[in-house]
Amino acid sequence: MPARPTAPRPQNSRVKARAAQPQPQQQEPSADDPRVMLDRQLGTLYEPIPPYPTRTEREGEFYSLGDGEMFLNLGPHHPATHGVLRLVLKLSGEQVVDVDPVLGYLHRGVEKICENSDYYHVIDQVDPLEYVSSLFQEWPAVLAFEKLMDVQVPRRAEYIRVLSGELLRVASHTLFMGFQALDLGGLTPILYGFIERDEIVEMLAALTGARMLFNYFRIGGVNGDLNHEFMSRLGDWMSRAAKQSQAQSALLNENEIFVRRMRDVGVLDRATALRYGVSGPNLRAAGVPFDVRRAHPYSIYPELDFNVPTRDEGDALARYLLRVDEIRESIKIIDQCLNNMPDGPITAKLPRLLRPRPGRAWAAVEGPRGMQGVYAMSDGTDQPYRFRIHDPSFVNIQTVPAILPGGLLADTMAIVASLDPIMGGIDK
Amino acid sequence: MAVGGRGPAGRKAPGTDSGVAPSTAPAAATGTGPGRALAPATPGSLTAPIVVPNTLWQADNPLAYDGGQAAEITHLREFGLTEDGRTDTARWGALQVIPANADYILDLIRANSLWPLLSGLACCAIEMMSAATSKNDMDRWGMFPFRASPRQADVLIVAGTLTTKMAGPLIRLWEQMPEPKWCVALGDCTVSGGRYKRSYSAVQGIDRVMPVDVYIPGCPPRPEGLIYGMMQLGQLVKDRRGHWAERKIGPTAPDDI
Amino acid sequence: MDRTLKTRLEARLGEHLRVPVYQRQDQTEIRIDPGSVPEVLRIVHDALDLRFEILADLAGVDTGDRMQIVYHLWSPMTTDWLRIIVDGISRDDPRTPSATFLWTGAEWLEREAYDMFGIIFDGNRDLRRIFMPPDYTSFPLRKDFLLPDDAARSTGAGVRHVEQAHTPAIVADNPAAGIRRTPAS
Repeated sequence: MPARPTAPRPQNSRVKARAAQPQPQQQEPSADDPRVMLDRQLGTLYEPIPPYPTRTEREGEFYSLGDGEMFLNLGPHHPATHGVLRLVLKLSGEQVVDVDPVLGYLHRGVEKICENSDYYHVIDQVDPLEYVSSLFQEWPAVLAFEKLMDVQVPRRAEYIRVLSGELLRVASHTLFMGFQALDLGGLTPILYGFIERDEIVEMLAALTGARMLFNYFRIGGVNGDLNHEFMSRLGDWMSRAAKQSQAQSALLNENEIFVRRMRDVGVLDRATALRYGVSGPNLRAAGVPFDVRRAHPYSIYPELDFNVPTRDEGDALARYLLRVDEIRESIKIIDQCLNNMPDGPITAKLPRLLRPRPGRAWAAVEGPRGMQGVYAMSDGTDQPYRFRIHDPSFVNIQTVPAILPGGLLADTMAIVASLDPIMGGIDK
Repeated sequence: MAVGGRGPAGRKAPGTDSGVAPSTAPAAATGTGPGRALAPATPGSLTAPIVVPNTLWQADNPLAYDGGQAAEITHLREFGLTEDGRTDTARWGALQVIPANADYILDLIRANSLWPLLSGLACCAIEMMSAATSKNDMDRWGMFPFRASPRQADVLIVAGTLTTKMAGPLIRLWEQMPEPKWCVALGDCTVSGGRYKRSYSAVQGIDRVMPVDVYIPGCPPRPEGLIYGMMQLGQLVKDRRGHWAERKIGPTAPDDI
Repeated sequence: MDRTLKTRLEARLGEHLRVPVYQRQDQTEIRIDPGSVPEVLRIVHDALDLRFEILADLAGVDTGDRMQIVYHLWSPMTTDWLRIIVDGISRDDPRTPSATFLWTGAEWLEREAYDMFGIIFDGNRDLRRIFMPPDYTSFPLRKDFLLPDDAARSTGAGVRHVEQAHTPAIVADNPAAGIRRTPAS
């Protein structure tokens, strides 16, 4: 823009001639005109911006535009791979002023279906919530049911649970690294991430039978014992794991563009994180050393020796580096599990028809994204009366209206990716 | 069963303030207060389908596309039972495309360069990405560029559960894709509703809302399964040999399933 | 099971507790009325020997006769989870105070409880639907919202034809009779 206002341009003869011609009438724009399409009542197909009369205080506050502000809809379909999250951004130029996340595009009614499923089927139904880390969805469910039924899990089963869980944590964090880079525009690390993930997931497929939605944990144990294929793949992987994770993180950690785009971006400070109920790596990167494996230990974690990495900065880079550290810790845990694996049965003896006494139970585990919890109520029948799933990504995404404003539009994807959300869990 | 116009029970008209202000919530929103009993369905009636009104776009010239489709017929199960539903001539009738050698070659070209649209909704998206990355490489068949914009894509691989809320945007994506376009249903949820068969918010198979060319079952299907499905799609494209307009659309399962 | 937690809670909360503190395995459970929610949450959050600062979960429950809100909290001062059951929310006009004054993160959890049950949280600035489309009129997790599975077991007829094998005589008189009620919760 010019520094000082310039005088209006002198009109030459051509302009004057055109202005002298009779102006065409302002016609009704034809129905094909894409601008017209947006003004039509679209009904319940999707919500236009700005919407319908606002219903709540916060909505009214968000949907009123200040001077120079505009709405940008980062719609449910966008190339950032976190799934169907819709962010309505209020921008002032390039800077994000406010954001309204809209969820529900993947709401499948899992809790309601679980109320109509018996206890075995619930474990299967709860897998696709955070599909990248399915075992961590099954784990609190089986823990809660075991509390309801007072079932003792054999030690070998516990070790196998921890082993497979930590393997899946490594896979999930590696995938996170790939997605983080993908959202920032780097197309190579995602390939590395998927190579790594494919290797681990093939291992778990040899153990559980499926690549992704494992349906492996059972009430009282696990579904199948370790076998030769699993052990040989695991051995191969372990011999390379440390070096591989080192190499992969070196690809990104030392990349100036990556680091500069993530440093001091999306700072989530300690008080905000606690107020929002954030858990997992996002909370630990904000300086709170809360890890359910240490805060409220379950399974055999009290016997294992591992650190809980914590960082203070709370920015996206801290969250990223924390997850890289957690991969190393998980490899340590896997090593200990393999060395100390006891013999014995892999499931407890349970009746075919499971009918726990009426009661209530809560159980939480530390998933790769945070604290995954299940509150189960039983009414004495073979189906849970209420099966409530508490998902960490749900509360993590809630911090988005607190940490996005003030940043640029380009930082939005970096921040959302650093929270590592999985829409299946958010939308249940 | 009457076709069209009848939305799922409980939907209000768009213009009314159907959002709930806190003070009026219990009376307005609860359809199941003490005075209003639920009406159970009469035996023999089917569930109401998810009817997406076809009011998005109308051609400028009312005679184009052979007069166009009746706006009410959107549920493909009913449409598939009609004469026009068995073939796609309703839209191309006015043009009377006669397949020529050029179309044959064009279809060979298209089959080897099917560019998918990134439409990963849920778990199957991870397997789709796994099929696109190094270990099972879809780039070998030219399918690497997952276009973000529907205007540049050929194939819509619907990967993941489609919910009623997402159905609108997905149909809009499908309609924005230029022809010729194909649709692949990846995973049980898109084929028939899958594990969400009795869910109140999952669309029971995307063939209720859009024409599907290839169904890939599995939960999730292995990446090799997706690759097999894409190869079948390529074969399908080549088999039609230019008769893209007359492809059969609509669900192929028998009606009483 | 932390016995000292029971005494500490009884000392601090006193008359707010409707039933004695119930402890089982690693969970401690208290029941309060909807009116006591702000005070109890404030005490439990601030008291120096309680310090339940981390909100783990906020769930809604429909027990057939009434609704409940269930909070789960964690504190560094005890090894137990604390479960606060806000009991006695009526099904016809479900209102309860919001916890957003303490935890901003409760906002979305309460939105979810509203979306699934219809429970109105007084004090929540953003109480609109979160999962279902904004013009949806039912509350899915209520016990009288029947999936086709439920319908097969209820006295009402099923929705899909596969569930209409045998329709009992009592059909439309009392559809609420099909609601499962917990025996004691």
